[in-house]
Amino acid sequence: MENWLAGLFNPYFAQVLTMVGIYIIAALGLNLITGLCGQLSFGHAAFLSIGAYTAAILTKNLHLPFIASVLLGGLMAAVFGALLGIPVLRLTGDYLGIATLGFGEIVRVIFTNLKITGGAIGLAAIPRYTNLLNVTVFVVLTVWAMVYLQNSRFGRALAAIREDEIAAGAMGINAMFYKVQAFSLGCFFAGMSGAFYAHLLQYLNPNDFGFARSFDILNFVVLGGLGSIPGTIVGTLVLTLAPEFLRFVAQYRMMIYGALLVLMMIFRPNGLLGGVDFRRTLRRQRQKAAAAGN
Amino acid sequence: MKKVHFLLSVLAVLLIAVLAAGCGGQQAGQSGAGAGAAAGGDTIKIGFMGALTGSEASYGVETLKGMQMAVDDLNKEGGVLGKKLEIIQSDHGSQLSQAAAVVQKMISQNHVVAIVGDPTTGKTKLAAPICQQNKVVLISAGAVGPGVVEIGDYIFRDTLLDSVAAPAVTKYLVNDLGWKKVAIVTSTNNDYSVGLTKIFEKALADNHAQIVDRESIQDGDKDFSAQVTKIKQANPDGIIFPCYYTEGGLFMKEVRRQGMNLKMAGGDGLLSPVLWQLGGQAVEGSMVYTGFAADPANAAPQTKEFIKKYQAANNNKLPDMFSAQGYDAVMLLAKAMKEANSTDPSKFKDTLARTKDYKGVSGNITFLPNREPVKSPVYLLEVKNQQFVIKKVIPTAAPTA
Amino acid sequence: MFIQQIINGLTLGATYALIALGYTMVYGIIQLINFAHGDIFMIGAFVGVAAVTLFYHNFFLILLAAMLACTVLGVVIERVAYRPLRRANRLNALISAIGVSIFLETFMTVFKGPQAIGFPQVLSNTTYKIGHTEFSNIQLLILLVSILLMIGLQLIVRYTKIGKAMRAASEDYDTASLMGININRVISFTFAIGSALAAAGGVLVGIYFNSVDPYMGVMAGLKAFVAAVLGGIGNIPGAMLGGMILGLAEVFGVAAGFSTYKDAIAFTLLIIILLVRPTGLLGRPLQRKV
Repeated sequence: MENWLAGLFNPYFAQVLTMVGIYIIAALGLNLITGLCGQLSFGHAAFLSIGAYTAAILTKNLHLPFIASVLLGGLMAAVFGALLGIPVLRLTGDYLGIATLGFGEIVRVIFTNLKITGGAIGLAAIPRYTNLLNVTVFVVLTVWAMVYLQNSRFGRALAAIREDEIAAGAMGINAMFYKVQAFSLGCFFAGMSGAFYAHLLQYLNPNDFGFARSFDILNFVVLGGLGSIPGTIVGTLVLTLAPEFLRFVAQYRMMIYGALLVLMMIFRPNGLLGGVDFRRTLRRQRQKAAAAGN
Repeated sequence: MKKVHFLLSVLAVLLIAVLAAGCGGQQAGQSGAGAGAAAGGDTIKIGFMGALTGSEASYGVETLKGMQMAVDDLNKEGGVLGKKLEIIQSDHGSQLSQAAAVVQKMISQNHVVAIVGDPTTGKTKLAAPICQQNKVVLISAGAVGPGVVEIGDYIFRDTLLDSVAAPAVTKYLVNDLGWKKVAIVTSTNNDYSVGLTKIFEKALADNHAQIVDRESIQDGDKDFSAQVTKIKQANPDGIIFPCYYTEGGLFMKEVRRQGMNLKMAGGDGLLSPVLWQLGGQAVEGSMVYTGFAADPANAAPQTKEFIKKYQAANNNKLPDMFSAQGYDAVMLLAKAMKEANSTDPSKFKDTLARTKDYKGVSGNITFLPNREPVKSPVYLLEVKNQQFVIKKVIPTAAPTA
Repeated sequence: MFIQQIINGLTLGATYALIALGYTMVYGIIQLINFAHGDIFMIGAFVGVAAVTLFYHNFFLILLAAMLACTVLGVVIERVAYRPLRRANRLNALISAIGVSIFLETFMTVFKGPQAIGFPQVLSNTTYKIGHTEFSNIQLLILLVSILLMIGLQLIVRYTKIGKAMRAASEDYDTASLMGININRVISFTFAIGSALAAAGGVLVGIYFNSVDPYMGVMAGLKAFVAAVLGGIGNIPGAMLGGMILGLAEVFGVAAGFSTYKDAIAFTLLIIILLVRPTGLLGRPLQRKV
C-alpha cells in the first residue's frame, strides 16, 4: 500500500498526469466548439501554440507572474480565435474544417519564422511553473465552466445551432454571433492549456503544434463522445495513457493506435460516453428508487 | 442498458488509473531517492542523448558506439571509484519535441549523473538549460555551433568548434582552390546551419571572397529546383553548404541535374554515408571538414589503438569524429570523477572544467576558462569513390577565451 | 530562368494534381476527406522501389506494379475502414481515415525504417537545352505521364458506363442508388482509380527527388487536398488546375526568397479561395436546401 502511495508522487507519473490535465483543458475547449456548437475545427493546436508562446514570452522576457501569463495567453488565443472566426465561420461543415486546418499550418509556419518565438529552433529555458496542483485546479475550474455553459441559455443556443443552423436562425438566434463567441471561448481554454504546456515541458517548438496535434485533441473529444463533458475527460485519459501502456510494444505502438481509432469509430461511433447524460441517468435512478419504495 | 454502459465506463477509468498508479509505484520502488543522483544504485549512470533513428541517426549511432567502447574499457579496469558504468540509452528520433522529454526522463527517472549529447548543436542548446537547472553535467560530442557552453557551468563539449574550423577551411577554399565567388545555402530550421552560415559569411569576407548568391532551404525539403536554378544564374566557383547530409545529397543531385559541375563544401553535418547513398555520383568531390578523421598512418598511439579496436568491431570501417569524440567524452567524465573523488555532478564539474592537455583519441583537448575546448587541426575530407578520404589537414588558431 | 521556373512549377504541380484527383473524386461521391490518400502516394513510391529489383529497371513495369498494388490497397481500405461508416457521422469517417493514415505511416516506419531511402537508378538523367532553359528528361516524363493519366481519367469518366455512374453518384447519391446503380461498386472503383493515380505520382516523385520516406505523403497529401479545393472539390479538371496553380505558386514563392514560408503559401491560397469562392475555381456554386 505504501508503495502505491509513493508511486503516486513519483515525478514521472506526476508529469504524465499533469499532461493529461493539460490536454483535458484543451479538449474541453474543442468540445465546446465541435461537440456543443457543431463547428468543425481542425486547427485547435494552433491556439494552444498561441497561448503557449504568449505565456512563455511573458514569463521569460517580462517576468510576469505565472497565472497572469496563463490568463493572458488564453486571452491572446481567444482574440485570434475571434479574428479567424469572423471571416471563416461563415463556411459550413468540411470547408470550415479545412479552413481551420489551413490556419493552423499558417500559424505554425509563422512561428517558425518569427524571431521572438525563437524561430525553428524553438523557445527553450522556460521556467517550470506548471505542477500537478495548479493544473488540477484549472481542470476543475474548466469543467465547472463547461457544465455551467452547457446548461445555460448560451449552451442551448449553441446546441440549437449544432442541430440545425437555419432553423435556429428562424427561431431568432443570431448564429454568427454565438458561433464566434463559442469559437473564441474554446480557443481561450486552448490558449491556457498551451500556457501550462509551455511551463511544463520548458521548451516550445512550432512543429509540436501541427495538424497532427489538432487531430490528437479531436480524437480525445470524439472518442469520449462528442458533446459530452465526462466523455471528453475519459477520452483524453484513455488516449493519453494508452500510448504509455503500449510502450512495451515500442515500434508497433502507433500502428496499434491507428488501428484502434478505426475500430473505435466502427464499433462505438458515439464514443465511449456519447449519448450518456449523467443527469438523466441519476434522475431515472432516483425515480426508480422512489417507485420501488412505493 | 444505459446503466451498464455507465458502470462499465467508470470501471474502465478506474482500472486505467490503478494500472497507471501501479506502473508508477514499481518505478519509484526501484530507483530510490530523488534528484542529485549520486546516491542511487550501484552503477554510475551516464545518459546518451541522440538520434538512433531519423534524419540525424548517423551522428547518434556513431556517438553511442564510441561511448560504449569507453564504458567497456573502463569497466574492464574495474570501473570508476569502485562502481561500474552504465549507459542509459535514449532515442529522440531526430525530433526536437521528443528531445526535451527524453532528457527530462533520463534525469528524473533514470537519475543519470551526466549526459553525453546531443551530437547536434540545436538539441544541445535545448538540453543544456534542463541539465543546468537539474545540476546534471552535459557534455556534447558533436555540437560545434556557438552559444552552447555559455548556458551554464554544467555544460561542456569536446568538439572542434565551427568558429575555429570554418575560417581555416575558408582560407584554404579561397586561396588554394580559387573559390573567389561562392553561393551559400542555409537551412533555416536548423540551428547548426544558421550559426555556421554566419561564421562562413564573416570568414569569406575576411578572405575577400564574394558571396554571389544566398539561398535558403529547410531540413526535410526535397525540391530544390528553384534554389539551384538561382545559383546557376549567379555562376559561383563553388557552393558552401553548411547543412545536413540528407539535404546535401539531394541538393547536389539537383545541381548536377541542372548541368552544373560545381563542388560543395560543408561542415560535419554532412558527415555520413547517406550523403552518397542519396547523392550518388553527384557528391563525388564534395568536401566536408571535421575535427577528427581517422588517419592511422599519422595518428597518436592512443588514437591508433582506438582505430584498431573500432575496426575490429565494425567490419574494418574507419571511425569518424562522432565515435572518437563520444569515446573521449566518457573518458573525460571518468577522469573528472576520479579527480574529484565523487560521482556528484556538482563536484566533478569543476575538475572537468580544469582539463588541460588531455590526450584523447580524437586529439589533444584543453578546456579554456570559459569551458570551450581547444583542439587542432581541422581535417578537410573529400568524397572519393563513396568514401571519405583526407584531402588536407589544416592547422587552426585557438579560440579566444 | 523564368521559363525554367515555370517548368519546375508545372512539374511539381503535376505531382500534386495526380494526388488531388483521388481526393476530389472520393469527396465528390461520399463527402469524405480521405486523409489516408497521401499515404497511398507514399506506399506507391515504396512499392516502386521494391519493384526495381523485380523488374530490372523497366520504368513502365515499375509504374504499373505500383499502380496495381495501390489499387488493391485503396479498395481494401475503403472496404474495411470507410464502408461501415458510410451512414455515420461525417466526423467518424474522418477519424477513421486518420487512423488508417497513422497505421500506414508507422507500418512503413517499422517495415523499412524512418530514414529516407534513395530510389535506385531507373532512368538515365539527360538534360535538354532550349535557349537559356534547361530541363531534364525526368521533368518531361512527369508532365507527360501526368497529362496522359489525366486524359485517360477524363475519358473514363465521360465515355464509359461506370464513369457515368460515378458522375451520377456525385451528383446525387441517394437517387443514383435508387436508379439501380450499384453504389458500392462505383465507390470501390473510384477508390481504385484514385489510388492508382496517387501511386503513379509516388513513383514519379520518388524518381524525381530520389528520396522516399514514410512521411513523404503527409505534406504532399495535405497540399494536394488544398489543390483539389482550389480547383473545386469534386471537379476533376479543377483538381488538375488547382495542382498546377499550387505548384507554380510554391516554386515562384521560393524563387522570390520566401522558401521558409513555402508551406504557408498553399494554406494561404486555401483560405483566400474559401473566403472568396468556396466552391473553388471551377466548382459549381453550392445550394443549401432547408
